[in-house]
Amino acid sequence: MKNILYNTGYFIKETKTIIRLNLLSNILSFLSIGLIFFILAMMISGWWVSSHIVLAIQEEAEISIYYSEDMDAAGADRLAEEIGNIEGVHEARLVSKEEAYSRMEKILGKEARVLEYLDDNPFNPFIEAKIQIEDISLILEKLDLIEGIEHVRDNREVLERILGISQTIKVLGYLIITAVGISTTVIISHIIRMGIYDCREQINTLRLMGAPEAFIGFPFILEGLLLTMGGGALSSALAAYALKYLYTQAAGPIAFIPLPPREALASSLVMLIMFLSASLGTVGVFFGLSSAKN
Amino acid sequence: MIEAKGVCLEYPDGTMALKNIELSVKPGELVYVIGPSGSGKTSLLKLFMGAEYPTAGSLRVLGQHISKGQASRIRGLRRMIGPVFQDFRLIKGRTALENVMLGMRFLDIPSGCIRENAGNALKKVGLEQKMLSLVEHLSWGECQRVAIARAVSREPVLIIADEPTGNLDKDNALNILELLKSFRDDNKAIIITTHATHLIEDDRYAVHIRMDNGNMIMERPGELR
Ligand SMILES: Nc1ncnc2c1ncn2[C@@H]1O[C@H](COP(=O)(O)OP(=O)(O)OP(=O)(O)O)[C@@H](O)[C@H]1O
Ligand SMILES: [Mg+2]
Repeated sequence: MKNILYNTGYFIKETKTIIRLNLLSNILSFLSIGLIFFILAMMISGWWVSSHIVLAIQEEAEISIYYSEDMDAAGADRLAEEIGNIEGVHEARLVSKEEAYSRMEKILGKEARVLEYLDDNPFNPFIEAKIQIEDISLILEKLDLIEGIEHVRDNREVLERILGISQTIKVLGYLIITAVGISTTVIISHIIRMGIYDCREQINTLRLMGAPEAFIGFPFILEGLLLTMGGGALSSALAAYALKYLYTQAAGPIAFIPLPPREALASSLVMLIMFLSASLGTVGVFFGLSSAKN
Repeated sequence: MIEAKGVCLEYPDGTMALKNIELSVKPGELVYVIGPSGSGKTSLLKLFMGAEYPTAGSLRVLGQHISKGQASRIRGLRRMIGPVFQDFRLIKGRTALENVMLGMRFLDIPSGCIRENAGNALKKVGLEQKMLSLVEHLSWGECQRVAIARAVSREPVLIIADEPTGNLDKDNALNILELLKSFRDDNKAIIITTHATHLIEDDRYAVHIRMDNGNMIMERPGELR
């Protein structure tokens, strides 16, 4: 260990030499590791974003209950109260025609001009109920029994669809992590074997002079970590840039989707990628070194 | 320092390179190993460095048993040896100084001393001016001297030099031999293989061993100095 510390200069020089021996392979490995980690990073962000959305939707599970148009305001109030008393419903509130209109205006933003072409307020008043998501089927059953309710719009379908997407992303994510793991390990262990092969004379000489394996292997460990962590850094930079771009794109038309804060997402992503690249680099180096032992 | 009893070395292809070697080397001794090409000189030195294992008999070098399954102890043994290889085994693309320093980097020599030791060793072999030259730009004899500097700078207790006079003219060969002999002291043993019998004939203080087709013949034990 002591040797490794005060030979830092030598090891860095040695690593440079090893890299220069197979410069093109090293550059290509660095780039390909960077790119596959970038794909991984985007996959992971998709995974995180979708589970964040699922969670956000689950948290504010709301159903909209539309009642028959001939019910008067007092009747609607009573209905809201009745719904509020159902087990699993936190709160039931009347949303008037006007409120429904202004909500849509907000959602549409700039696009709200289309509403002006309509003569009349096209929206119906409804009762908005915040509910316990697990109780949704029970609540729907009970609502069925109440008179005067025309139909109920719940976001279960949306939720299930997003849940499905999230699940798919997760499975894809596992596949991609496996692929990235295998390819990184293979790339690194091969490039290290190649370096060891090119330096076999020198390695033999060092062995004959009694150099410990750790001393001989250290420049190769450095090479492997440099490539993987360099690739990790490259992909992190790309991913942070891509997230910034995607968030700007998403800010317009789909602003109502509850995205996680970008800075937090990006920094956890960078940390995860750097951690993964360092660990996969270590595994690759280990395989490379042990397969080259004779 | 070296105790060999009935040592044989048979290479995997069936070549019997060494047959029933009996040898004892004590501290302070200088041993010349001579003999025709292919007689087993390099094979003998390989055994002493633990680069090959005896296929029969027992061999101890600096107290260490040379046999399979002793890898880490043999590594320790190698650190006490200063080897000069027949083909030098210098690292290309490095300067003479870096080559000499590399031989010490993994020893228990304080980092501050490594550079100094290397400089001193190169001075001693007369390469003060060539310290910063790449080894591939050095002449044969100069490479030979870098290899010797690398071996002796390690402060070894056993110096093993394989054919250090090979391909050198008489004067240079003599210089190299004198140089190696100058590292002789009471605690070190030096083993040198050579073809240049005419240069060592009158060294009465050295042990002379002849190898012949894998057999060892003690020609002349060294006289006490
Ligand atoms: N790795 C090996 N495998 C098989 N045979 C070998 C091996 N190394 C050496 N030999 C054989 O062992 C015998 C002794 O070889 P060695 O290299 O010890 O000779 P030497 O005395 O050093 O010769 P030279 O003076 O030419 O250097 C030779 O017949 C050689 O062909
Ligand atoms: Mg030889």
